[in-house]
Amino acid sequence: MDVMFIPMLAMLSLLVLGTANAEEKITLGAVEDVILLPWGVRLPARIDTGAAKSSLDARELVIQDGMAEFKLPQEFGGVQLRLPIIEWKHIRSPDGRQQRPVVELELCIGSKRIRSKVNLTDRSMVKYPLILGRNFLRKNFVVDVKRRMTAPPRCPDIP
Amino acid sequence: MLQTNLSFHRITKMKGRQRRFRIHPISQSVGFMFLFVITVLFFLSAGKGDAGEKITIGEVEDVVLMPWRVKLPARIDTGATTSSLDARDLKVKNNMAEFKLPKKYGGLQLRLPVVGWLEVRSADFKEKRPVVEIMFCLGPKLIHTQVTLNDRSTVRYPLIIGRNVLKDNFVVDCMHSHCLPPSCPEVPPQ
Repeated sequence: MDVMFIPMLAMLSLLVLGTANAEEKITLGAVEDVILLPWGVRLPARIDTGAAKSSLDARELVIQDGMAEFKLPQEFGGVQLRLPIIEWKHIRSPDGRQQRPVVELELCIGSKRIRSKVNLTDRSMVKYPLILGRNFLRKNFVVDVKRRMTAPPRCPDIP
Repeated sequence: MLQTNLSFHRITKMKGRQRRFRIHPISQSVGFMFLFVITVLFFLSAGKGDAGEKITIGEVEDVVLMPWRVKLPARIDTGATTSSLDARDLKVKNNMAEFKLPKKYGGLQLRLPVVGWLEVRSADFKEKRPVVEIMFCLGPKLIHTQVTLNDRSTVRYPLIIGRNVLKDNFVVDCMHSHCLPPSCPEVPPQ
């Protein structure tokens, strides 16, 4: 019996290790829905390994006393938000440089609640109101662009 | 394995109670072992199948442009629909695109047929770019694909690899970069 137990234990630990390994990183598609907390606003986000930082579509952006006041796009409820600016970021894009205010946001993606920095800019020209860049993706996610909307937000305590 | 267990069991049954009780726990543990082996194999094969299908690459990877064998670092960009190459002094004449690669990567003069035009959009611009076909080696794969041409001198990487290339073969993990050096059979080791 004792002799039998050793390989059994070994195999059990292998099994546990194997499943833990698979759970390490969540696979996201090219586009995923996320929920902005605490407002419960659901937005589609472009998962973008080409962007260093995440970025949110901020309409009618006004900066006052270190606070950023803006509206989300009408399409997604048009909620008015007011958030403290934690820094300013230089953005490089193919046609030049720009400075954008950065705020901190909490959002739910898949089963994870994550606080992350996003910069604010008017994105009315492009399709998605939120870009999740490498600062967001680095720790917890891998990206498979063959997929789309395969990790719907379902965090505990969110209806 | 199961069959031998059963026959073992039957023999011991015939030989009487005492014998049967001595053997029975062992045959039971053998049965458990068998179950464990099956589950472990199942999990292993499931994991392996998943990983084997797609190649994991980092946020930046070196590629070798073929047939010229020019090595370039490429930004792996899931936000880009199509791939894009840094073309300096770009001229389009009679449906041929003439351009230079950046000096930093040899400044090679190239002349390729334009296969189409594509409107490119981003948060702050909109423009039409010529499209050409190129071949490059990314990890173990020789990839034949379309790229748009534009002057990328203000940005860091001379090649952007977009979703048109990533879709079929790759998964991107931003925790890494340069994790898969070019290793196509067509490229000599460096």
